[in-house]
Amino acid sequence: MEHKIVMPVLSDTMDKGKLVKWHVNVGDFVKEGDVIAEVESDKAVMKIQTFKSGIVKKLLAKEGDEVPVKEAIAIIETDVKEAQKPKRKIKKQTQIRKPQAKPENQPEKKEVQKTEPQSQKVPEITMPQLPEGSASPAAKKLAGLYNIDIQKLQKQNSLPTPAHEDEIKEFIIKKYFTPKAAKVIKEYNLDINDFKLDHKINSKEVEIYIKQKNIPKITSLTPNQQAVIKTVENSWSKPTYFIFDEAEINKIEGIKLTANIIKALALAIQDNPLTRSILNENKLLTYPSSNISVALSRNDGLYMAVIKNAEEKSLNEINEWLKEIKTKRLTIDDLSGSTFGLSNLGMFNVKRFTALINDKDSGILAVGSLTDGKIKISFTFDHRIINGADGAKFVNDFKNYLKEIK
Amino acid sequence: MLYREALNKAIDECMRDDESVVILGEDVGRYGGSYRVSEGLISKYGEKRVIDTPIAELSIVGNSVGMAIGGLRPIAEIMTENFSLLALDQIINHAAKLRYMSGGKITLPMVVRMPGGVSRQLAAQHSESYEALYTAQPGLIVLSASNTTYAYHGLKWAIKSNDPVIFLEHELLYPMEMDFKEIKNFDPFKAEIVKEGKDITIITYLKMRYDVIEAVKELEKQGINAEIIDLNSLRPIDIQTIADSIKKTKKCVVVEEDHKTGGYGGEVVSQIMEECFYDLDAPVLRIAGEDVPIPYNRKLELASIPTPEKIVNKILEWKAKNGT
Repeated sequence: MEHKIVMPVLSDTMDKGKLVKWHVNVGDFVKEGDVIAEVESDKAVMKIQTFKSGIVKKLLAKEGDEVPVKEAIAIIETDVKEAQKPKRKIKKQTQIRKPQAKPENQPEKKEVQKTEPQSQKVPEITMPQLPEGSASPAAKKLAGLYNIDIQKLQKQNSLPTPAHEDEIKEFIIKKYFTPKAAKVIKEYNLDINDFKLDHKINSKEVEIYIKQKNIPKITSLTPNQQAVIKTVENSWSKPTYFIFDEAEINKIEGIKLTANIIKALALAIQDNPLTRSILNENKLLTYPSSNISVALSRNDGLYMAVIKNAEEKSLNEINEWLKEIKTKRLTIDDLSGSTFGLSNLGMFNVKRFTALINDKDSGILAVGSLTDGKIKISFTFDHRIINGADGAKFVNDFKNYLKEIK
Repeated sequence: MLYREALNKAIDECMRDDESVVILGEDVGRYGGSYRVSEGLISKYGEKRVIDTPIAELSIVGNSVGMAIGGLRPIAEIMTENFSLLALDQIINHAAKLRYMSGGKITLPMVVRMPGGVSRQLAAQHSESYEALYTAQPGLIVLSASNTTYAYHGLKWAIKSNDPVIFLEHELLYPMEMDFKEIKNFDPFKAEIVKEGKDITIITYLKMRYDVIEAVKELEKQGINAEIIDLNSLRPIDIQTIADSIKKTKKCVVVEEDHKTGGYGGEVVSQIMEECFYDLDAPVLRIAGEDVPIPYNRKLELASIPTPEKIVNKILEWKAKNGT
């Protein structure tokens, strides 16, 4: 069927309009709501939209012509078979250039729109033409926006059936971004709409964008990291105090210094029952063994590995345990049952630091680096379990044992 | 606060502040209400304002319509939703229509309160949900209270409303202890986001809210992060809150206790289709009661309605089937 597009009545006083610019040519396919021309009334330049979809059959006026209102300016053939339908370009309203003619008319534009509700009635078309193929509505919408032929890709097995939005997004990213850039997009959870998708985008462009907008990289915490956070947060609820001191230590060939410290700590713990104790509601539980939690920095995170019955183990056995635990697959048993902790940062060349008490332990020893045969030691005690005097005695016992290990 | 205490508090405060508020129904007075909602009110406000009625639902609502026309603010209590069928003519032909048919000259400031849903072994004639029926009536506002906060604020709003409100409660909720929150600028028509999530939107109301919360805990263990929306107002529906959520999650599940065929969830899905179609990445899943009269046997009774386990399984099946 033929549909006539007429010169619209853009204001009460308008009797003819000047055709400023055609946005379509004969043979173009237009969709309801597309802008087809710009018309200048006595007040302003307005965009003319088509109310019917079809192929432009005839343009009845030339650019610059003055046409009386309600007279036809174009004819559209609305009987278009699917097959004839050319691939529709998605026309964005913002792409249409403002006419160069008479820019001084611009301020009056608002007034014209008020008296001319007709042109506002046409809703803005935001829905692209949807592709064929089996896909969810959200997937089809996205595919339509980026001209992706779902059916074809499904035949090539490039998309699953049915396709979902994520899979289309994946495809778009593959199409418009280099693999390296795609990786960055995912790492930073970027919106692909923020990029101009007219060429293959490399990682450099993406990185520049990230830098410009100062976008953070998002890293999900591993269960271990989350557990560490919980443990250190819990230590906040404990009333603690510190004892700072120095201790003599003897370097033994083939034995880690940490082994010496564990051994001395284990023996001192045997002499001080409170350091073998933990609080449980209103009871104090005192264990017979020196079970020490040792802070362990592994490739897979920070762990407090527990050495059991350390007082009965030889230096060599402790040394072997330290080597083994570094790579061993840790079980719950390896991480529980301690009453006192140890954290050694000596190998990282720090003189002194303090540590947070692990889990239910009664205290922890933090050890700095070796200088002139001595190490700086910092004890953190849980004051609910160990009072100052008890703490001081324990520190001295530890120092004496450590000195003796040769 | 107990759920029934929240309802009692709302009625009590309205009766204290406004002499025109009256409550009527079977055993609301001396007995304190079948579910103890009106406990203590008769001693405070007397027999003239707390009225024990005969076992005649049509007359309870019919009298309420008359009182509302005459300037009172009646609260009619129906013992269970099943019995409200006896009062349908007054609710649908009179309460819902008179303001329209009088050209606005008559207003009906009245509330009809009724508990529904599957309780424990009350059998087929005492276990129905009729939200699908009442939400289909223009002229009625239908609210559903799943928690103390909404029960208190929603009922207070309903009593003060100048239009008839059907206020749906659930029999299993009355003795439940829940957190209560005082709300300023309460909006009865706003749905509540019970829990935020990013993977699926689960829409529910009334008692199913608690089954969904249980189910979501299990889904969370399987790595599915669900958002829960409690509708609160069933007519009108807060489609905006739903649409915003679906825009984020792209997937939606509607959980209701009523029978699936013709159930209220169908209306929710229909509105979602109109508003959110192009945001959906999977067909909307409806989890509802079976199409059978509710059985008396406890095992069969539970088999006839959604349970946390069933909700989890159906969602997992649906996810697998749709490859999401």
